[in-house]
Amino acid sequence: MNLQYRNKKISGILAVVPQNEVRFDDEVENYNFSVKQSMKLKKIMGYDRHRIVTEGTCVSDLAICGLKYLLDEGLIYKDEIDALVLMTQTPDYFMPPTSNVIQGKLDLKQDMVCLDVKQGCAGYLVGLMQSFSLLEQDAINKVALVNGDVLSRKTSPQDRNTFPLIGDGAAVTIVEKNPGNSEIFANIKMDGSHRNALIIPAGGLKMPSNQDTAVMKMDEEGNSRCLDHWFMDGMAVFNFVVNEVPPMINNLMEFSGVGLEDVDYFMFHQPNKFMLQRLADKMDVSYDKMPYNIVENFGNSSGATIPTNIAFNLGDKLLNHSYLTCLAGFGVGLTASSMLMRIGPLDFCRMIEY
Amino acid sequence: MEDFYTELAEILEVDEVKREDELEEFENWDSLTILEVASMVDEKYGVTIASKEVKGLITVGDLEDLIRSKM
Repeated sequence: MNLQYRNKKISGILAVVPQNEVRFDDEVENYNFSVKQSMKLKKIMGYDRHRIVTEGTCVSDLAICGLKYLLDEGLIYKDEIDALVLMTQTPDYFMPPTSNVIQGKLDLKQDMVCLDVKQGCAGYLVGLMQSFSLLEQDAINKVALVNGDVLSRKTSPQDRNTFPLIGDGAAVTIVEKNPGNSEIFANIKMDGSHRNALIIPAGGLKMPSNQDTAVMKMDEEGNSRCLDHWFMDGMAVFNFVVNEVPPMINNLMEFSGVGLEDVDYFMFHQPNKFMLQRLADKMDVSYDKMPYNIVENFGNSSGATIPTNIAFNLGDKLLNHSYLTCLAGFGVGLTASSMLMRIGPLDFCRMIEY
Repeated sequence: MEDFYTELAEILEVDEVKREDELEEFENWDSLTILEVASMVDEKYGVTIASKEVKGLITVGDLEDLIRSKM
């Protein structure tokens, strides 16, 4: 589905990563694989170190840390936040919405919209779309979009398919009306027929968590996890991404009338180095235009990877420059989405630690 | 598909592979290797293979036949 937005912009990006850093090399002994196999995995997927929250840290903690920093630094003001959109798969509670928790704890104004949306790897794209839609209202001039997940808390440390890649993190993106005549092009595709390719089977109402769902079981490959942990069918996700994303980007270019060569940066979701290099090759895009170093430095924090990627790799450059940027997110759902927009100059674009 | 055996040997990190070789006998035959094979096959032959399809295969020849059947 093609989507188009006018007169909206991103005015600032702040990424929040937990201080606690874990190295892949220190985790090799947790996996039921030979050291040789694990080192091969490290090299191909680009694993090195990742940021994991310490026990008990919630997505609201990371979000509040980021928003509080922006308020304290005078980069945003409480009374100008007309909407708080939280994109997460790891909420604090079933009810109330975690966005209300954040609003209450920060004592934000009551004359605003708080919204939780459950999205993962494509969460930055869906979050921007949601923010743009809210900004159509006269009463809404500034949206704080928060992407965050603490998926390590739902990941088995003995699952080599998931644990090495995971990273916890959050990002705050300020989205606002742009009086200039800017056009943003996007597209999105949903494939619920492959919903089981990325899933936490237990913990919802379909399969409430209990003693049985906490029993660790080893799969035929040697990975141990329980039904409370997230599971990934890596091949199914890989096939979905390499088959869907390149044509999706081509469609976006056609829809926007922009040539692939005119795009300055391809700031994509960061599943791992392997998949991103494969995408760049398939799209005939040079690696320096499509960074793939977030997993090796911080891990894959689901919907927060794109703003983290922008803050880490473009950072200060975006304070004085603007770049025609192609964003893409793909994964859980399964969902794939892309967006073409000019980003910058921004009021802020940086990273902090929780 | 003349390159297939060379490419597969490279992924498996062995000197050579033969049609009758059993996949499970290779030390590196794991989900990562299967993913690399899927990526190589997609790149070289424009063919998509699923993990379910690969699970039932015994030999290198079976893998070659699966890919050929999809070309």
